[in-house]
Amino acid sequence: MSVDDSLETSAEHVHTATPPLLVQTAALSTRAIRGFFRQPQLWIPGIVFPLLLAAVNSSSLSRASLIPGFPPDTSYLQFLVVSVIVQGVMFGAIASGNELTTDIQNGFFERLLSAPVSRPAILFGRIAGGWVFAAFQALLFVGILWPFGGTVRGGIPGVAVLVVMAVFLATAIGGLAAGLGARTGEPEAVQGFFPLVFIFLFMSSAFFPTALMSGWYGTIAENNPLTWMIDGARYQVIVGFDLTEAAKALGISGVLALLGLWFATTQVRRRWRVAA
Amino acid sequence: MTVDVAQRADTAGDRVDHHRPRPWSIVWRLTARSWLNLVRIPAATIPMVIMPLFFTVAFAGAFSALVLIPGYPTDNILSWMGPFAALQGAAFTGLGASFALGRDIEGGFYDRLLLSPASRLSIAGANVFFVLFRTVIPVAIVLLIGAIGGMDIPAGILAAVMLLLGAWGVAAIAALWGMGVTYRIQKQSAGGLVQVGVFIAMFLSIGMMPVDLMQGWLPHVAKYNPMTYIMELARQGFIGEVAWESTWPGLVSIACGVTFFAIFAWRMFQRVTP
Repeated sequence: MSVDDSLETSAEHVHTATPPLLVQTAALSTRAIRGFFRQPQLWIPGIVFPLLLAAVNSSSLSRASLIPGFPPDTSYLQFLVVSVIVQGVMFGAIASGNELTTDIQNGFFERLLSAPVSRPAILFGRIAGGWVFAAFQALLFVGILWPFGGTVRGGIPGVAVLVVMAVFLATAIGGLAAGLGARTGEPEAVQGFFPLVFIFLFMSSAFFPTALMSGWYGTIAENNPLTWMIDGARYQVIVGFDLTEAAKALGISGVLALLGLWFATTQVRRRWRVAA
Repeated sequence: MTVDVAQRADTAGDRVDHHRPRPWSIVWRLTARSWLNLVRIPAATIPMVIMPLFFTVAFAGAFSALVLIPGYPTDNILSWMGPFAALQGAAFTGLGASFALGRDIEGGFYDRLLLSPASRLSIAGANVFFVLFRTVIPVAIVLLIGAIGGMDIPAGILAAVMLLLGAWGVAAIAALWGMGVTYRIQKQSAGGLVQVGVFIAMFLSIGMMPVDLMQGWLPHVAKYNPMTYIMELARQGFIGEVAWESTWPGLVSIACGVTFFAIFAWRMFQRVTP
């Protein structure tokens, strides 16, 4: 056997030993999820803050449901269910996406690049970690708010819409956070992006019906894509399951997810080029 | 000769004593340094300007229909939400003191400051003094937005004075609480914990709704939350005339809050002094 033959054989051996993309992604996702849950400072705010705000606002603004124009037969807490999920997912996805920045800072990202790991798996492994947490958050929030009056009238299909929307939104926000992290390599830059997202959320129907907002603020809120998504998801909570409204919620969040993924992919590719 | 040496040492000691900077000059110079940092570190300054602007616009815009609730104390949402936004901005300003302190501790500047012959009280007090200066900014921003947006100010200039008084109280309490936590943790990351404490106190008060219109558990908490009384003090001139009954509980709350958190901050400060 010549040297060339033996080299080819060993190359084939290495090639067969490299696990498929899905397995690599699953392995990196498992690492991301474990790492995320091992750091309570990353996931506790995404659970505690939205619930705390819901508890305060539902008590403080409960009489808002008496205002003409407020959705009929709906308590303020029921109105808030979707915004609690959206807020929680935003907190969690930013923290989860920011973990890519930590990987860049501590050198793990570079080590992955030098290993025979599929490059998309590096990014998708990180973002998929956020999917699991988002689905968990949506189910947890629905479970906690239900006994206090935050009933989801759409039943199981309605809850399923909320969970899928949460996963899509986590992809969008997590992708943006990961992309920003890959671009700057600075966790502070990613954290600084949170207030912008929060402003975007505040200028939507997340906390109050847009029909009851006046002037230019109402106009912005009505034309904010987050309003369309939230209204579609809220329909499942306060009215019942409806396919058209579900498609609206999932369609908008799906488009946002694709945009987030596109941004993250372009920025991570750019970093790969720099690293190479 | 030995007497001469002792005498010379005494004289040198006197000279050092004589040249020890006065406490006010330390406070003044550290305040001037903080002003410089305000200009040099935009990341720390922008939230101070943006947050009151955002809070005023967002609260007044999103919750404009609250005035339709029977019994709501005003028909102008800006008059209700503006002072709340100003106090939130003041709280942010106070929190800025803890971030700046954390930065100085992490960067080693604070250690050098402690090695200097400056009085300890001046070093600690300079942070709070600067916060009182800075608090004027969010108050001015809210008043400006209010003037543009058509805010009612029945009490006129007295309303602005009460708002500033309330904002100073909140900023001083937030700063002292933040400094205490930062002295204890010795890191900038203490800011996260500090923020949580301040915002829980703000939201468990009459920020968005008067106690009479709240339902459930919140009115029981808001009634005993000192922040409720500071909010009443600061807001009274925007929804009616300034009255002593709405003023003194706020003043007492500020005095108690400042005293309590000053003792807390001072105790934590003594832990870091060599």
